[in-house]
Amino acid sequence: MPLVNEEYGFFVDPQRCIGCRACVGACAECGTHRGRSMIHLDEIDRLASTQTVPTVCMHCEDPICAQVCPADAIKRSEDGVVHSSQKPRCIGCQNCELSCPFGVPIVFSGLEQMLKCDLCYDRTSEGLRPMCATVCPSQALLYAPKVQIEGMRKNKPLREFTIGELHVKTRNAVMVPDTEVPLHLDASLLIAGGF
Amino acid sequence: MGLLQRMELHPRPLVRAALTTAGVAGLVALGSRGGRWLDPALLGYLLATLFATFGIAYRYWDWVDRPPTWMYFRHTLKTLMSPKGFTAFFKMGKAATDQIVLQRFIEKRSLKRWGAHFLLSWGCLLGFAITIPLVFGWVRFTSAGLDATRYQAWVMGVPAFTFPLDSLIATVTFHALDIAAVMVIAGCALSFIRRHQDEGDTATQRTDLDLMPLLLLIAVSVTGIMLTVSEAYLQGRNFHTIAYLHELTVILLLLSLPFGKLFHIVQRPAQIGVKLYKEQGEAEGRVPCKACGAPFIRANQRRDLEELWNRLDLKGATHAGGRFHHLDLCPRCKRRLVAKSQSKRLGGGFDPFHGMPLPTEPIPDATTWSSK
Repeated sequence: MPLVNEEYGFFVDPQRCIGCRACVGACAECGTHRGRSMIHLDEIDRLASTQTVPTVCMHCEDPICAQVCPADAIKRSEDGVVHSSQKPRCIGCQNCELSCPFGVPIVFSGLEQMLKCDLCYDRTSEGLRPMCATVCPSQALLYAPKVQIEGMRKNKPLREFTIGELHVKTRNAVMVPDTEVPLHLDASLLIAGGF
Repeated sequence: MGLLQRMELHPRPLVRAALTTAGVAGLVALGSRGGRWLDPALLGYLLATLFATFGIAYRYWDWVDRPPTWMYFRHTLKTLMSPKGFTAFFKMGKAATDQIVLQRFIEKRSLKRWGAHFLLSWGCLLGFAITIPLVFGWVRFTSAGLDATRYQAWVMGVPAFTFPLDSLIATVTFHALDIAAVMVIAGCALSFIRRHQDEGDTATQRTDLDLMPLLLLIAVSVTGIMLTVSEAYLQGRNFHTIAYLHELTVILLLLSLPFGKLFHIVQRPAQIGVKLYKEQGEAEGRVPCKACGAPFIRANQRRDLEELWNRLDLKGATHAGGRFHHLDLCPRCKRRLVAKSQSKRLGGGFDPFHGMPLPTEPIPDATTWSSK
């Protein structure tokens, strides 16, 4: 049975990441990426902290990457998965890479193609979990039934984000203590003392 | 609600498509000398081609009208019309040789894919290049006067050249479509093998979009070759039945062109315009990220993307009280921002160094330490 359905969810919890890079290695094994890792593992603030953050595609409900694509090459399937650009159409313009609110897509300029996390569609469509979630030892990346997460974690899944006045809804969730207010992405957090 | 709205059709592309089709019909009338040189056996093909022209033109103009597509289309037109247009035209020609003729970017994706695509695409284009002039009455062949051993080629009603029937040029001319058909069948076979072996393609391919066009191309090519086999080796047995079958498959292919995967044949040249856009952006320089200071986005694309976001009603995505846009953050800083925002919501709880003062001097990196 395919695991890309309403029952299952992807839960991202950067606070659990231990920076082991197992997800990076495993992601490259996915058949739809052909040896290229689509996971980003970044240090948040190298001078101040050892903390790392794994980033997978959040699979937006109305993906901005698809809206800004001039070739109409990025499609969201009925199961809510936003796929890599369609090979015959993608013209490698980088609009998607530069417009994604979460910094996910990667455009390979020699290939004239954008590749991104597609929830390991070759696996999830056959009843297997995504590679990264399979190997993550601390469950910073967790693919599990939505009903299970309530009992597993103190924090709750949040699928809404705001950037200024822009509202973004996603399929994948970030774990936070309360879900009443969307997660506000405020760039002043990136610089000590704000702007 | 009007009929156009119910059918989700847009008036502007409809008008442009009608004008494009009328233009092609005009060229058919002109090239065939008012229809005098049209081959009655090919009239079915002609009607299907005109329908496909309308469908492809509608979809093309509708696609160009999309705000992100128009962003690049407008830029390419502006550059070609500017004083730099002549240089730009040559640059585009060079890029087209690499990207469209040799298809080098597909070779970089995979050698198997390139082999299959090269055979398929050039087989199809060769087929179109031969059949369209024949169907439109632009090219035709007759006996050269009373000499039964020579053929006369006519282009737009004007005698072009003659050639003997037993020459190499005659063999190539009469069998060029067979050569195209063999190329298409080989390309389709390689595509099927690759699709069967590739786990990623097996998971994401769709029967209607990915497999049906290949099956249709094989049907067209096989029935086309069967015509030659019937004529050359079977004394014309079942020739008319095969001819009708071939016509049916070709008409199906033509009618499917605007709706299916093969539409990318007319979309793909946009890649050349994007090359030009990127080159001009590099000359203008890259704008640094507002958070980390690393240059990352070409100045022209930064300007055009904000305009595009506004046209798409993606307004208000700003930071620091509107002082800068979310587009001013590099992809890495956007990813860091999600974690920082989660950390803030958690009260900084997950950062073991939260609250500790930052070091005042830069920490030497690992290589400096090991060398001491």
